[in-house]
Amino acid sequence: MTADTTLITTSLDTDRRRTALVQLTVAAIAITLTLVAASVLAPIADITDLSARRQPPSWQHPFGTDRLGRDMLARTVVGLRLSLGIGALAALISAAIALVIGSVAGVVGRWVDAAVSWLVDLFLSLPHLVLLILIAVAVGRGIRGVLIAVALTHWPTLTRVLRAEARRVTASEYVTVARRLGRSETSIATGHLSRHLGPHLMVGTILLFPHAILHEAALSFLGLGLPPHAPAIGILLADAMRELSAGSWWLALLPGLALLLVVKAVDAIGQQIRALTDPWSVHA
Amino acid sequence: MLNRRVARFIGVRSARLVLLLAGVAVGAFLLLEASPLDPVDAYVGAEIARVGPEQRAMIAERWGFDDPAPVKFARWIGNVAQGDLGTSSIFNAPVTEVISTRFRTSLTLLAAAWVLSGIIGFTFGVIAAMRRDRLADKVIRWLAYTFASAPTFWVGLLMLALFAVQLGWAPVCCATPIGVDPATATLGQRLAHLALPAITLSLIGIAPIALHTREQVIDVLASDHVTFARAQGEKGWPLIRHRVLRNAAVPAFTLQFASLSELLGGSILAEQVFNYPGLGRATVEAGLRGDLPLLLGIALFAALFVYIGNLLGDIIATRIDPRISLLDRKVGS
Amino acid sequence: MLFLFVRAVRRPRIIAAIATLTLAVTACTTSSTDEPTAAPESLVLAVGSEPDGGFDPTLGWGEYGSPLFQSTLLRRDSDLELVNDLATGVSVSDDGLIWTVTIRDDVRFHDGEPLTAHDVAFTFSAAAASGGVIDLTDLAEARVVDEVTVELELERPRSTFIHRLATLGIVPAHAHGDDYGRGPVGSGPFVFERWDTGQQVVATRYADYHGDLPEFARIVLLFTDADTTLAAARSGDVHLASVPQTLAGDAIEGMSLIRVTSVDNRGVMFPYRPDTGEVTDDGKPIGNDVTSDLAIRQAINVAVDRSALVEGVLEGFGTPAYGPVDGLPWFEPASIVADGDLDSAAAILEAADWTGQPRSRDGVEARFTLLYPGTDPVRQALALAFRDMVAELGIVVDVDGVGWDIIDERRHTDAVVFGWGSHDPTEMYNLHHSALAGTGSFNAGFFADDQVDTYLDLAMGAASLDEANVWWRAAQLDEDGHGFSAPSLAAWAWLINLDHTYYADECLDLGQPQVEPHGHGWPVTAGILDWRWVC
Repeated sequence: MTADTTLITTSLDTDRRRTALVQLTVAAIAITLTLVAASVLAPIADITDLSARRQPPSWQHPFGTDRLGRDMLARTVVGLRLSLGIGALAALISAAIALVIGSVAGVVGRWVDAAVSWLVDLFLSLPHLVLLILIAVAVGRGIRGVLIAVALTHWPTLTRVLRAEARRVTASEYVTVARRLGRSETSIATGHLSRHLGPHLMVGTILLFPHAILHEAALSFLGLGLPPHAPAIGILLADAMRELSAGSWWLALLPGLALLLVVKAVDAIGQQIRALTDPWSVHA
Repeated sequence: MLNRRVARFIGVRSARLVLLLAGVAVGAFLLLEASPLDPVDAYVGAEIARVGPEQRAMIAERWGFDDPAPVKFARWIGNVAQGDLGTSSIFNAPVTEVISTRFRTSLTLLAAAWVLSGIIGFTFGVIAAMRRDRLADKVIRWLAYTFASAPTFWVGLLMLALFAVQLGWAPVCCATPIGVDPATATLGQRLAHLALPAITLSLIGIAPIALHTREQVIDVLASDHVTFARAQGEKGWPLIRHRVLRNAAVPAFTLQFASLSELLGGSILAEQVFNYPGLGRATVEAGLRGDLPLLLGIALFAALFVYIGNLLGDIIATRIDPRISLLDRKVGS
Repeated sequence: MLFLFVRAVRRPRIIAAIATLTLAVTACTTSSTDEPTAAPESLVLAVGSEPDGGFDPTLGWGEYGSPLFQSTLLRRDSDLELVNDLATGVSVSDDGLIWTVTIRDDVRFHDGEPLTAHDVAFTFSAAAASGGVIDLTDLAEARVVDEVTVELELERPRSTFIHRLATLGIVPAHAHGDDYGRGPVGSGPFVFERWDTGQQVVATRYADYHGDLPEFARIVLLFTDADTTLAAARSGDVHLASVPQTLAGDAIEGMSLIRVTSVDNRGVMFPYRPDTGEVTDDGKPIGNDVTSDLAIRQAINVAVDRSALVEGVLEGFGTPAYGPVDGLPWFEPASIVADGDLDSAAAILEAADWTGQPRSRDGVEARFTLLYPGTDPVRQALALAFRDMVAELGIVVDVDGVGWDIIDERRHTDAVVFGWGSHDPTEMYNLHHSALAGTGSFNAGFFADDQVDTYLDLAMGAASLDEANVWWRAAQLDEDGHGFSAPSLAAWAWLINLDHTYYADECLDLGQPQVEPHGHGWPVTAGILDWRWVC
């Protein structure tokens, strides 16, 4: 980047930063509200009321009730909380795996690097959902199973990014000098790598988050995820599908819409943080 | 000279494919071996409650469930090398046969969705770039980002509820009419059954293609090449057609072939929602009911499918744009 | 030699009552016979799921009877009485070990080959050896005496063996191999034509069938999931559709809603022993300190409101269940308890020192886990509603929907929502005899009671079915008020019997369907020979 264009983009950036901050705030508030609503409504999410089955949305039940008279608003927000929790944890685990493998590949010698690249290729050689199903079958169902499956399938792409970055950093003159000066590999790694990989890792993790949420929902929808009566969005939608012709449209529409909004909010947070920190333009 | 390069190319690619498939085979086998599923339970399914221990032992023996893992793997991989992927316990038929019948059903769906998403995505991308920062661009980008956040199966569910259940415009299930021999179903009937799942599935692919094409077209429009053509007096549709589309099409094609993996994954959800009896549904069934031979077979097949997709993408890219030579490309990294 | 009457199953009044079919919507009026229209070329049925293992009786096809493509030695008529099909006579030796069956000499398989005693012996031997789900482990040997006579030797006497004769379809020895299940050749009323896996099976009428010919020349059996089936019924694509009770509410134009009584039941199995750290031979833990308490089990049985479950979960399409064999000739009516009574239930618990909220005794909290198979929405609904009903009593139930693999691990320590229901009382024996404790899912709770064992053994070894029924009833509740049922030991909390619900074309007269067993396979097709097109 030349000095000229930097000046221009800086003035444009003030506007962009403001929009970014506004979007970020709105998205964060939406997610906080969801979490608060979930903790308030959690106690009633599971209570059956056989006398109030399949009621359409009303003031008392804004999202209606299901075939056992359970309140769908409560089930939806509790489901969203579960999705957010699993998504966040899985994204963090994925990121940790990517960080370890990516930086090892970048720092340690050629063979390890080749092996890591091959492993990444191997994981990417299968459609994501097929791999998810394989792992879900292997580790068993339930929260633990979903978490492992989602966490174990989201690291390869981030690993690629981090590996490339780590290689670039270690190959830079700067590090060569440090190495000549007798600094140990570990200190090089902790010093330079953490500074350069940090922003990539953070943004990469946040961008993984919505994917992790959607994949958790998909796995549960297919019946390979959470227990079948758990209030998870995928399960609510699978239940709705089974009774589509019973005319209970609210069972399919509302939880899905809520999930879409939460994923958009999470995605917006990721995009805006990227826009604000912009690690890919640091060396551009 | 060229022949030697072609031979080397084929050799290297084949070796990589074999290595990859071997990796998938070992990995998938280890995963499924670690599975807590009891294959006997999986075999008897809902009848589990009625099966006594002596019968369980006989079932295990009949299918070789009790052998140690290395024995099972050796037996399986030996058979795989001869083209025998074993027997699917839920379909009680050879895995190769299940996969080939199921995949043939899926193929129409995949192809329709693939073409649809390619055409729509590319068109949208070009329109968005031409109308950059205007309303059309904003709407297209907003739609693309929204669809990227929407769960495929939910979109399918809504389409099913609206068009099939409420309006009755489309059938609610299957690949051919209920009660009709699939072999005798007419083209019209097949298309009617294909429409909703294909549209749902295509939604996965539209967003990336549209956004990518938009970037490409914007880049091309800003390039010296186009500035020069403009200076020569070219404008309007001919300019777009000759200077822009060709250059934007290559990356779009490559991306579209690379998206075969996503497409195959998405077909699992689409087929589940629309009750479409293809490979995707078979995958879910196999996962739910622990049909390990079928899952292993599907894993291998999916890896092969994705690999071939990527390879085709590379080859076609060279056909459209002669400047890219596949043979000179360094394979790997 | 003692000759067993094949028509030995006497029909008690209760069966007659429940066998009466309830037509929710009046079927086609008789006036339409003025202008008879031909039956449709193909009768399209969506009445059950696809048999995973194919149509091989030796691997379990038709284990509840009516294999459709094959014939059985005996069959049940619409009153559930056993009548001859292939058999011309059945006799049992005095020691109950040798069953001699004579068969017709005029029956041919669909491929034209005659059906002989060799095929019968082959079928029984193959089923016993196959590792399929048919339980013939008591069969010692099947011997051919001559072309029309076969001897089946048992390892111990079994009064219930006769039910096997009514469920095992006879396969041809000359055309039975590993692929048989995908292209069955039998001697039943319909000839297998084609199977599109996951979609449909097509069969045509067997012109040389040895019984009355079915009215329909061709049948198509669809395998669609519940919601699709319902949609197909709405659009008029099927003539007979089985739908879940929960979706059977609406009227569909041109279709009658038919409910068929069944012995298909659901109940909660309690682990019967306390937790002493004991494990099974393969290391699975046994016992539960809460459900092993008699007061807990009895109180739950009294507290649960079965009618509310029938109404709320089954939309009214069912009946309260009090035992595993409600309404069958071997059912003991005295085992019915007054339920939905929280006060009495609380009193039972108070008397047993379970106090507080939630209740506890000697530091043990009144809390247990209830498992259900995750893929079954009805069992899920039952488990959740059960939990909320029992919670009012101060007992905490943690519900968990899991795969059969997990249930397999945990069924000796956790309560499970099971479903049973057979025309064969062997099932009652398997569920309650201490010899079967921990055997598969049979007596998963390790229920054991010497008196009950004695009655069950007497029933199994009885010389006649009538005598057997006396002992079967005593096992539930004897004259001293002792037995496994709710008023006494309360081994289970049985909840509901399902009605199987169908939408049938108004022109399709199903005659009088029989009380259906637990719903695998296509129980409704048992009566297919009596179906008529009446428009």
